[in-house]
Order: sequence, then C-alpha cells, then structure tokens
Amino acid sequence: MENTESVLPLVCKIIHIPEKPSFLPHLQPTVNVLASVIEPKDANTLVRKLNKIAPLENLQHVKRVQKKSIDGGKPQLSLLLCMTVGNDDGNDCMQYEILELVKSYQLSTFITKVCKYAATSKEEWDEQCKLWPTSGITGFSEDESQSVFGFMRHTINLATSSIGQVVNAAVIVDPSTKQVIASACDQVISSASLASGVSKEGSCSNYLENLKASNLENQQTSLLDGSISEFKPITNNVACVHPWQWALRSSGCWHPLQHAAIVAIEYSAARDLKLFPDHKALSPLKRQKIEESGFQSIGHSYQSLRPYLCTGYDIYLAWEPCAMCAMALVHQRVRRIFFSSPNFSAGALGSVHRLQGERSLNHHYAVFRVVLPEEVFRNKVVDGKTSGSG
Amino acid sequence: MEGLWITKQVRSPYGVGLWRTIRNQWPKLWGNSRIVIGNGRRTSFWKDVWMASYAKETFEFMKLALEQANDALANLEVPVGCVFVEDGEVIASGRNRTTETRNATRHAEMEAIDFLVQQWQKNGLSPLEVSERFSKCILYVTCEPCIMCAAALSYLGIKEAYYGCANDKFGGCGSVLSLHTSSSNLPTSELASSKKGFKCTGGIMASEAVSLLRSFYEQGNPNAPKPHRPLKQKV
Repeated sequence: MENTESVLPLVCKIIHIPEKPSFLPHLQPTVNVLASVIEPKDANTLVRKLNKIAPLENLQHVKRVQKKSIDGGKPQLSLLLCMTVGNDDGNDCMQYEILELVKSYQLSTFITKVCKYAATSKEEWDEQCKLWPTSGITGFSEDESQSVFGFMRHTINLATSSIGQVVNAAVIVDPSTKQVIASACDQVISSASLASGVSKEGSCSNYLENLKASNLENQQTSLLDGSISEFKPITNNVACVHPWQWALRSSGCWHPLQHAAIVAIEYSAARDLKLFPDHKALSPLKRQKIEESGFQSIGHSYQSLRPYLCTGYDIYLAWEPCAMCAMALVHQRVRRIFFSSPNFSAGALGSVHRLQGERSLNHHYAVFRVVLPEEVFRNKVVDGKTSGSG
Repeated sequence: MEGLWITKQVRSPYGVGLWRTIRNQWPKLWGNSRIVIGNGRRTSFWKDVWMASYAKETFEFMKLALEQANDALANLEVPVGCVFVEDGEVIASGRNRTTETRNATRHAEMEAIDFLVQQWQKNGLSPLEVSERFSKCILYVTCEPCIMCAAALSYLGIKEAYYGCANDKFGGCGSVLSLHTSSSNLPTSELASSKKGFKCTGGIMASEAVSLLRSFYEQGNPNAPKPHRPLKQKV
C-alpha cells in the first residue's frame, strides 16, 4: 500500500519494471466486468460465495467491492460479480451459479470497467481507483531499500573500477542473509588489454555522465524512447550493450559470451558444488538407486539444505541484461533482478524485449531499476557502506 | 466435393493407408488446411519435411546430434544434443550438462561453443578470425535453441541452424522470440548493421528428439526441486 518514493530521499529510487509496457496513467487498458449494487449486510456472504465460484484469476489486483458515498453521506456498496466474456451483454454468458446468486439476491447487474493490469506507480493507482478500486503498489521497506541501494553501489563499484574501464558487473545475493553468493564482471575482453586503457577516474566520470543523461529523462518514458547513440563511446565495453561487437576487440584472453551475469552464474554453480559436494560424489545412477530403494530421507535432507540453482536469490547488474543473460537468469531461477542503467540497444527486460512478461517461460522474476544519486559514482571509493558483507 | 477436394472412399486394402487416414479424418485435415492459388502450372498438396527435401548429410549430422542427446539421457540430463559443422566436417559436439554442473545455462550449444572458443584460442586465433570461423558454422541441434542460446548464436554470427523439435516454452528461433532474424526495432541503423541473423530450419527428425525428451520427463527430472515436479512413482 505504501509508496516507497515518499519515504526515501528523492535521489534514491527503486522502480519496478512491469511485465507489460508502461502506459500513461489515464490511458491504462481496461476490461469490462459485471457488477451490481448490493445491500451492505449481504456483502460478506456474497464475497465469500463469489470468491469460490468465480475467483478473479487474471484480475488479482482488483478489489471485489467498491464503496461510494452517495448524497447524504450514505455509503453504497457495489460488488464485482465476474468478467464479461466476449460480447458486452453480460447476461448471456453468465455462469450458472452467478445467475442463481443474482436471482436469489435480486441483484440488478450493470457493466463497468476495471483496469486490466496492476498499478506500478502511485499515479497509475490513483487513476485506477477512479474506475474501480485496486490494491495499491507494494513497496520496499526502508530497511530493504537501504540494502538494495548498498548492493547496487557495490555492483557499480565493480563495474567501474575492477579492471579500469566501464563494463557490466553482476552480483548474486542471498537476500535472506544479505550474503554475496557470487560476483563477476564482463570477461568478454581480456583484463590485460584493458588495464592499459583509461584511468579509473576517467572511466568513473564517463559512467557518471552516461547515467546522469539517462536519469535526467522521465523515468517512465526513458525506458521506451531513449537513445543510446550519444553515449556509445562510453558503453563500448559493456558486453550486454554491444553483444555483437566482441570480434572487434583486441586479442588476449577473452570469450565472446562471458557476460557478467553468465560468469556470476558459473561462479554460484561452482560454489554450490563446493559447498555441497556430496550430492555430486554419488554417480547420478547410484543416487537414483538410493532414492528409489527407500533411503529417500538422506537425499531429501541434502535437497532441503542446498539451494536449487539460484532460487530465492537476487542479482544486481550495472546494466540491463541482454536476451542471452536475461534468459540465463530465467534458467537459473533468480528471484529478483535489480539493474542500474537501461540498455536500449539490446536490453531484454523492457528496452528491446521484455522477458519478464513472456508467460510461456517456466519461471518469472521481478525486475527493478535502481536509481542512485550521483555522489555514489563520484565518491564510490570513500563510501564505507557499500560492501554488502560476505 | 467427393473425388474433387475430398478423396473418394477408400476400398482397396493395399497401399492406400495414407489416403484412408486422410479420408477418415477429413474434418480435422480440412480444419487445418488453407488453399493457396499459385500460377496454375502445378498442384502441390502440402509441404512435407521428408528425407528427399534435404540433403542426406542434414540427417547424418542430426543423427550425431541425437547421439549426443542420448548420451545426456544416459547421464540423467535433459536429452538435448548438438554438433557444429564447418565445411562439411563436425568440429564440435555438445550435450546438456545442467545437472552435473548445477548450472542451468550449460545447454548443449553452450558446451560446444565453449569447446570451439577454447580450441581456437589455443591455436592463437584472433577474435576477428574466430568470428570468421563461426560465420562458416552450421549448427545441428535436436531441440530449437532457447532464447539464451539463440541470442548467443546471433552474437557469434553462425551461418545456419537446423533443429529437431520446436520449443514452445523457451524457443528463441520463432517459438517465443525470433532472435535468429536480424531485423529488430533497434533505434540506430548503425547498431543494426552489426547485428547478425542466421538461417534457421526446424522439424529435422523432430519425432526422435521428442521421444527422447518424453522418456526423460516420464522418468521425472531428478534435478528439479521436490514440490516443483514430483517424481512419478514406479509401480
């Protein structure tokens, strides 16, 4: 219910990147529903019955009851019965059970509009409630926000300072313990050939300028119609931004697909193997035999101890990941993705593609853009709170 | 209609199984058909993926990919396999290793790509030379490359890909996204010019690929978490 933006300093922001493209608050898509004015005394019974026979499966964010005060301050309750199917003539396609309910409570139904998608901002929510009440946006607690900002600072430090030039960085975090599970930078080009490149300070301010420019735009629209061309020289080495240009790099130790997120996943898998080696020590066939022959409890205690891939973990990225990295994070079952800068040329979480909205995928993560104040990039080395412990 | 658009009732007992099936399931076929009018010079009833439609070597290479998939199955991995072919020769092969590595990104394609990159680096090839080699590569993979692999193949700029069965849930070569096509809504033409697409053909020995996957999922994915996909009880 609470809007985080009002709690935090204006310069720090966590922006949810929804599953569908953004709409202007007053232009949000709607769907028609069947509703009826009801007697307040019947409200509880009716809601309970309706939740059973006609749950709002695709409209989880929509509230069942609308309360309006009509003249004289007397409250009037309207109840959402069901979605209308096909044509707008609700009665024709009404479910039998609902029809019964309408008859027995003598309801006079009408068709009204509700917003199709959950609100993603305070402005959107305000507009939605003008039509029909919806649940508000869920924010981050103060404590959680501070932890998110801390990890993002840490990630940007990695991206700007680890090998002397701006690359992408990825940090996988277990949010329950606030422990860093794995962290990595792009390894598409060799660090040796980069070290001789631009100095630390130079690259830092480059990143800052780039970020400043992209942040100055309106947050909502910048993801949709921003342009990368003017920042191109700065992001040259960010693998996810220029995934096709690896061949133009100098030689040395390199790999065209070793983007930061891919490497971080590799590290976390290696860590998993190291911390829970027993599971591997048995040959897969042997393990299956053990599990089949009734020693299941042994197998299960391992299963419950060790995480399944990156289930429950968050990942922080300096740049919005490309399609390869974003899909890799689906495969590895990451819970939430936080990135700092959008990637207009190849980003797969809202800029070019929007993987979090592809319903056919077997796993879905929540995606957030984290906006940090400029000082973070200027004084990043001085900041003591940056490292996320571990 | 009969005898024109519908085949006649089949009475002969031999050699007409196909027509009998078509006749018996006519409503089903008709519901999935559409009529295309060409220049009238010939009649073509349907386009079929059949041995003769492709070079024999296409199937030879796909068989090798299926062998890799079989190897994966024997090791309790999701049975997907692939081979990379350059100038008519297999230069790399790979199969799924997600369970063994506990890394869900270790798909067959990624395994083979890593082998090639390492190999070529060892031989002292520069990134440009590696890029050139990849541009001559044809991939044969038993299942449509997922979004991650399709993106990777596009970054590398391979020449062509043949796959077995489509991948409705993750496919990056037409099923969910189309990352093999070079056209995209990129804002700058300059970036678009550096983006590479590759030719992609599906349906090569698809039934073999599907039956491998089916036998894997029937035995249950031992790597999946308990509540996610429960193992089938063996009777």
